[in-house]
Amino acid sequence: MSGVSIAGVGAYAPRLRIDAAEFQDAWGQFHASGVEEKAVPEADEDAVTMAVEAAQRALAAAGHAGSDVAHLALATTTPPMAEEDLTARLSSMLGTPADVATRTVTGSTRAGAQALDAALDAGLWADGVAVVVASDCPRGEPDSEREHAAGAGAAAFVLDGDGPGTVADRASHVEPYPGTRFRPTGDDETTGLGITQYDRESYTATLDAATDALDAALDVDAAAVQSPDGKLPYRATDALGVSADAIADAETVSSLGDTGAASTFLGAATAFADGAQRLLMAAYGSGAGATVFVVDGPVPVETALEGDNDLTYPKYLRRRGEITSDEPEGGGAYVSVPSWQRTVPQRHRLVAGRCPNCGALNFPPDGACQGCTDRPDEYERVTLPGTGSVEAVTSIAQGGAPPEFVEQQSKSGPFVSAVVAFDGPDGEETVSAPTQVLTGGVAEIAVGTDVETTIRRIYTQEGVVRYGFKTRPVDARR
Amino acid sequence: MRDAYVIGAGQTPFGAMPDESYRSLFTAAFERAVDSVPEGIDEDDIDEAVIGSLGVGGRQLGLSGPAATEHAGLHGIPSSRIENACAASGYSVRQAVQAVKSGMADVALGGGVEIMTDMSSDVTKYWLGVSGETEWERLTGTTFAGVYAQMASTYLDRYEATQEHLSMVAVKNHENGAKNPNAHLGFECSLDDAVDAPVVADPLNLYHCCPTSDGAAAVLVASEDVVDAYTDDPIRVAGVGAASERVGLFQRDDYTGIASSEKAGEKAYEDAGITPDDIDFAEIHDCFAIAELFAYEDLGFCERGEAHRLLDEGVTELDGDRPVNASGGLKSKGHPIGATGAGQVAEAFKQLSGTAGDRQVADPKYGLTHNVGGSGGAAVVHVLEREVAE
Repeated sequence: MSGVSIAGVGAYAPRLRIDAAEFQDAWGQFHASGVEEKAVPEADEDAVTMAVEAAQRALAAAGHAGSDVAHLALATTTPPMAEEDLTARLSSMLGTPADVATRTVTGSTRAGAQALDAALDAGLWADGVAVVVASDCPRGEPDSEREHAAGAGAAAFVLDGDGPGTVADRASHVEPYPGTRFRPTGDDETTGLGITQYDRESYTATLDAATDALDAALDVDAAAVQSPDGKLPYRATDALGVSADAIADAETVSSLGDTGAASTFLGAATAFADGAQRLLMAAYGSGAGATVFVVDGPVPVETALEGDNDLTYPKYLRRRGEITSDEPEGGGAYVSVPSWQRTVPQRHRLVAGRCPNCGALNFPPDGACQGCTDRPDEYERVTLPGTGSVEAVTSIAQGGAPPEFVEQQSKSGPFVSAVVAFDGPDGEETVSAPTQVLTGGVAEIAVGTDVETTIRRIYTQEGVVRYGFKTRPVDARR
Repeated sequence: MRDAYVIGAGQTPFGAMPDESYRSLFTAAFERAVDSVPEGIDEDDIDEAVIGSLGVGGRQLGLSGPAATEHAGLHGIPSSRIENACAASGYSVRQAVQAVKSGMADVALGGGVEIMTDMSSDVTKYWLGVSGETEWERLTGTTFAGVYAQMASTYLDRYEATQEHLSMVAVKNHENGAKNPNAHLGFECSLDDAVDAPVVADPLNLYHCCPTSDGAAAVLVASEDVVDAYTDDPIRVAGVGAASERVGLFQRDDYTGIASSEKAGEKAYEDAGITPDDIDFAEIHDCFAIAELFAYEDLGFCERGEAHRLLDEGVTELDGDRPVNASGGLKSKGHPIGATGAGQVAEAFKQLSGTAGDRQVADPKYGLTHNVGGSGGAAVVHVLEREVAE
């Protein structure tokens, strides 16, 4: 093999959850076998924001920084934009060098495994590392099996040359099985024809063939198997040559739902977090194809997978945008895309400026210095660590939001907007910036609450999603 | 520089007036201003006009100054529009005073007009915070209610004032506004009403927020050389102060007051050669209740953190030592953005002329008007003095 090893794994799932019983109450039946509850993206989360959460945790677990990343791959079946390279923004959010090699893999739930497979072939990267992140939040028709199962989550692998994890073997297999699970161009919702035996055959036959091609022994502690629901993986025990217990030891579908392209990555994160020494990852994608890996650990893992906020079914429909209205006619304040683009280092990475005249920190580093009113030719760029303390805060109730934020409020309810004094690089001086505060599990955000940054969708105008930092209480860290 | 005098001022009722256009409203305010000049005025005496406005019909409209003045029959004179958000017409009055003091005009008109209610509720949302720090502050989902709420959170955290004091501002201003036939929300409210109202942006509830209104106001300013032709009871512009501040809250040194108000007040007092103690009444920019507390402190009516005491002790009630917002203020009289500042001067003119009816302040000599743009990016203070015959 290429000598590429696994240095760390990170995983993230939205904190919002809905219980299967809510669907049972609403519809009289629940179509997703083996799903007890599932993760639901907040209105300002998508595959890109979840990818950042997972990738940052993987880098932390591996002891690396964004500046070390030489290869960055994003795998998802739900890219927020059908056309436009999202890895450029992902790279900016993670703070990678600009000459990073980037890959986007999409089109089936096997995308994560395909991206990992390709990265293993692409390395090594001298002193650098690869980040392969799978992030997904599939959707279906409200009364469909796929929607009932549809969860959300992301997980990332950091690859380098001397990590503790190794890939003992890997294999892929493709075979045409059209029509099992698909999403026509332009649609948001994944569907299928529901030909039960045909669908199962596609799944088991491809996984069987891929596993057969492995040379390594399958004496694994756990098996992270593609889980469109909580039942199908167990129909593949014979095909995979693993026990039902091994599958159960690495499953996340019962608590996170169908996480699509991130399914086997999340399974791997869970298994390694539980101390698995040898793991089978078995990814399946409709079309159909399977890619399997035998991975030897241990691998350091950092996860944030626990849920803490249970949704009712009506609140779930609001989050999904099924019963909410869009931005009102009449418009809001207009911030052009070019003017937004000029502030991307601030929005993605909290880049402030130090005044060469008086030394004061300025955010954004633009115009006259807030300390001395001098107009420097250029501010010295300073990346803030992202921690800070709330100085002024309000919760915007219904009717109090500007038009650009009506959709967010309609989906998520009141939101908290604050001025935060962000810590400077030396930990002494601060510089203030306005930001939304995600309340998470913390009851009250008040003057003095300690917060840290994360990346979320800020708003969408003219079809362009604007991503930027928001904050959450340090106490809500998972 | 020579002295300037307010010789007449008037305003339309503030409120929702779907039958009126911005031009018809301005004309109505202009007529009231002309009618208020004690010895009368030939409209041809007016040398110049400056009209405050944020936008027309929820949007920008070029040449709205000349369009309004020509519609009113002020033909051919220099006329322009000034935009400084909610402080637009405080600044237009200041421009008129400058024109007169500099000698470029003997009589100048400073006025303002806004139409805010003749559009769908969706389009109305355009007004909500369009004057803020758009790229950063607004894009955290705040309107001005949100920004003032943030300031209130810091203030209430630092000092002894409570949310109930904010409600007391509403009760006081509604009590006064109920006596003002021009008020938009001319009804009284109980403290319970003002405490239990729905939250808009915590800690501010609906009664802590002013309405959006239609309305117009006009102020006629004359030089000391011609004032005697128009009145025997001259009301002098004793002091004018104005100042700017960083538009975004997060770029300021402090959130528990408005630095531009403080600077504008100090300049106006210095100009007038008086201290805050000399002020007999004030019309204050209470766009949100917390703003009235800030103004008490910024304008020197009390020490920092003590504003709530003036409310507790009734100092600023109509029959108190220093009535504030006898007109009802923005909260009750209403807030047609571009007309608000000139409307405050119109109220001060009425009070100093002794024509304020049921809400008349007892025998005032000095009146102060305080007009703020946005969350404090601009502020302007006028001190008017009734000159007592010697």
